[in-house]
Amino acid sequence: MRRPPPADPERLLPLTPVVLHILLALAAGTTDDAQGKHGYALAQEIESLTGGAIRMGPGTLYGSIQRMLATELIEEVPRGRGGRGRAPGAAEDDGDERRRYYRATALGRDALDLELRRLARVVNFARRKHLLRDPEPA
Amino acid sequence: MSGRSASSGSRFEWVFRQLLRLYPPGFRARFGPEMLQFYRLRSAEALRGRSFIRALRLSMDLALDLGRSLPPAWRDELRARRARHTATSAPLPPEDRMDSLLLDLRFALRSIARRPGFAAVTILTLALGIGANTAIFSVVNAVLLQPLPWPDAGRLMFVFGARGDERQQGDVYLDYLDWRRSNTSFETLGVIRAQSVNLTGGDTPDRLIGMFADVGALRTLHATVARGRLFIDSETEVATREPVAIISDALWRTRFGARTDLLGSRLVLNGQAFTVVGILPPNFQTPVWAGAVSAPDVWLPIGYYPNKGDLDTRGQAGVLVVGRLRPGVPVTRAQQDMDAITRRLAEEYPVTNAGLGANVQPLAESIVGPSRTPLLLVLAAVGIVLLVACANVANLQLARAAARRRELSVRAALGAGRGRLLRQLLSESVVLSLVGGAAGVALALAMVHVLAASIAPLLPLHASITLDGTVLLFALGATVLAGLLFGVFPAWQASNAHLHETLTLRGDAPVGAAPLAGRHSLIGAQIALCVVLLVSAGLLARSLGALAHVDVGFQPDHLLTLQFRLPPTKYRTDAQIASMFTATIAQIRAVPGVRAAALVRATPLNGNGETMTYAVEGADVRRAGDLPSLQLNVVSPGYFETMMIPRLAGRDFTMQDRDSSRRVAIVNAQLARKIAPGASAVGRQIRIGGDSGTLATVVGVVGDVKQFRLSEATLDQAYVSYQQRPLIFTEVVVRTTGDPMSVANAVRAAIWRVDRDQPVWGVRPVQRSLEDALGAPSLTVWVTASFALLALLLATIGVYGVMSYLVAQRTQEVGIRMALGAGGRQVLLMVVRQGMTTVVIALAIGVIAAIAATRLLASQLFGVGATDPLTFSAVVLLLAIVAVAACWIPARRASRVDPMVALRRE
Repeated sequence: MRRPPPADPERLLPLTPVVLHILLALAAGTTDDAQGKHGYALAQEIESLTGGAIRMGPGTLYGSIQRMLATELIEEVPRGRGGRGRAPGAAEDDGDERRRYYRATALGRDALDLELRRLARVVNFARRKHLLRDPEPA
Repeated sequence: MSGRSASSGSRFEWVFRQLLRLYPPGFRARFGPEMLQFYRLRSAEALRGRSFIRALRLSMDLALDLGRSLPPAWRDELRARRARHTATSAPLPPEDRMDSLLLDLRFALRSIARRPGFAAVTILTLALGIGANTAIFSVVNAVLLQPLPWPDAGRLMFVFGARGDERQQGDVYLDYLDWRRSNTSFETLGVIRAQSVNLTGGDTPDRLIGMFADVGALRTLHATVARGRLFIDSETEVATREPVAIISDALWRTRFGARTDLLGSRLVLNGQAFTVVGILPPNFQTPVWAGAVSAPDVWLPIGYYPNKGDLDTRGQAGVLVVGRLRPGVPVTRAQQDMDAITRRLAEEYPVTNAGLGANVQPLAESIVGPSRTPLLLVLAAVGIVLLVACANVANLQLARAAARRRELSVRAALGAGRGRLLRQLLSESVVLSLVGGAAGVALALAMVHVLAASIAPLLPLHASITLDGTVLLFALGATVLAGLLFGVFPAWQASNAHLHETLTLRGDAPVGAAPLAGRHSLIGAQIALCVVLLVSAGLLARSLGALAHVDVGFQPDHLLTLQFRLPPTKYRTDAQIASMFTATIAQIRAVPGVRAAALVRATPLNGNGETMTYAVEGADVRRAGDLPSLQLNVVSPGYFETMMIPRLAGRDFTMQDRDSSRRVAIVNAQLARKIAPGASAVGRQIRIGGDSGTLATVVGVVGDVKQFRLSEATLDQAYVSYQQRPLIFTEVVVRTTGDPMSVANAVRAAIWRVDRDQPVWGVRPVQRSLEDALGAPSLTVWVTASFALLALLLATIGVYGVMSYLVAQRTQEVGIRMALGAGGRQVLLMVVRQGMTTVVIALAIGVIAAIAATRLLASQLFGVGATDPLTFSAVVLLLAIVAVAACWIPARRASRVDPMVALRRE
């Protein structure tokens, strides 16, 4: 059963941590946003982004990707053969042509924006109520 | 990365590929290659350090990931598929078979998880049933199925001397020499004879278990040595014996601290120095009965066997013959061979060998045979428990299936065929039984050590009981069988859902007649099985009771017994032996706390005893082979008084009955009646030991005593005085004023005052021998009775469950009846009658089955018939009462139904 794509990003909130972080990773440092990122790079980036707190396995990652594709938060970047950006630590590169690249859709960027605002409100609220101590200077 | 870790990496990758198949096909098609790629990169990174921790972490990550992502992936897939499916209702394409199995499993897990109580009861019931079966089977496997611990053990035989079908005490050494010379069936023949030997020269005298043997015996068993060498032919021939010894690994380690220089050194055994030439390997097993004789410590040449006359007298049985058949020779041919040889010997030596044959019996049969029936009995009992447990679970399943009819008919309406529903329901049963089976194996694992220790009296060899592959296979078989047993019938019933009918009904509406009949036959089967099991347990318990109340013929309390054997090199003449014994008995009687003491060749029920032929003087002398035999004991004066064996006529032995005076004997009541029917036996003469034996005058008559077993028929018994028949082996019996063991040390010291080199062993209260004699049968009773009670409990739950269900189903009907004027009492009787109809039929079937089954039990029974009416009626009564109670409680509930409430439920 394919759900009709919700035009209103509000309906997708709140995002699950994995979805949020995938969108974050796709949005961050995107000088060549149009190129998108492949799955393993996404997982790597999320891992370093969260200081290792979120370490995704293939099932979780691609399960989320499948759902995000279905809800059109992300899309696959159409491209020809031959990948670029050899993954760090890749011992061999023979599977590169199978690699698919993903980028955030407009809907995805909107949803991320809304979710971040929502989170910011939550954080501000917590701060006003002195529930959140500011983190130690890094 | 080294080649090795690369290959282990690819093995991991293979595992990952297999795990990938668990994902739904749509998902797999789209993301499979990418996920594999992801995995490769991740593992390359993680395994770069080749650290075990990293690999472990990677595996755990992947497992966790699998657990987290599989359910949502399938949920998405199923949603999509169901949408398609309802639209087309097409059968699944064949390539989806695997996925549909996974689908079944998923459904099964979900529907089980929805009713955790039901699942828990089912799994617990099955775990108990399968666990008990696995544990018992592990014993059966170790004892009955595993080959004996000798190479090519199927060709190993005992050759027993026999008169007709009656096995003799042992074989005659001179006959053995003839057998060995003349036979054509055996590759090797050998003799063994276990007897304790005294080890001296250390700090304290010690007793070892000796095994007197010839080279043939070691060769027959394919014995090897860990160090040194085996005997050579000349060393064990009686004529050319050499003082050499081979010791066991256990003795070498415990007594000699595994000294490597022990080979070639000398041990003083029975007062003579033997050179140690070899040490046996630790796993070497001797063909002796574990219960009767401990494993031997030392092997000595048969020529040193100390009992005078046992090796050089024809007609004197003293050794045990073992043989290895030539390859391809069947037992029957070996038997014919031996028959021909023994017939020839009977013609050649008619006085001693007339009527004496030889039985060839496989070692396996002889060693394992006696354990077979009790073990199979216990296995059958525990199997019945599993059947009853399965019936219970089947009943639970039926109740659940009834409650699920709506769900099932909805599924059927959505296009699931009967086969599809059947498969789904069966997957549920199989999942439940697999979990139950796994729990059962865990239970068996926990039980098996306790079981091995407690069941030891039933075991012939020191078998190691483990859960090996065979046992696990059995557990798996039992599990799958259980799953099918309790699953097929309910699944068949439930899958038979009629759409038009069930969709319009409430989920808990009454079900048709067929499932009810099914449930009644299930509780019927349970009750019938219970009858069989309870009757068996009851009969065994009654036998045990009869055994425990057997009149042994003496007072066993406050009696201490101990044994010693004089070294023949030190006590060479009968006079020396007799005077040692006389001095010893005087010393023991002087110990404080000792009321009376005496010597005896073989204390009753201690395992020893001597059997001899006899002839009553004056009766017509027939052929030697037809002579009756008696159990002969050698005692000192005061023995009967010490044991409190009643003296019925004549006198006791006195110190005047000595070597130089006329031979006298005391006989038991049964033999006295045979010697002089209707008259006094005192003054009559009997010849003990056949035609060539000693003629002795009967001077007294005493009560009958059980000698070998509690269950034995009364034997003909005769006693002679130790002064007239001195033997180097004797036991001492001491009647004490207090606890028998409290004087044990003082008695030992008394013996050492006579000879400080004399080892003493077997110090124990006679009461303990009696308890041991009851040990194996009482174990069988306890095990069977526990299983019977477990089955009874399960069956009670079954009956109660079915009746409760029935009452709940009929609440409305009961309400109408009561509204129309039926009293509570009538309703109660109606419900109970309905339940009891099944119970009565089941009891009748059970009794018939039990009559058939207990015939197999007959050999295990004592003092009670296999169709003992008391046991049968007690069991029937017990089950009837339990069944009435199980029906009564739901029936009472029914009789208290408020008609208005019942009617309003609609």
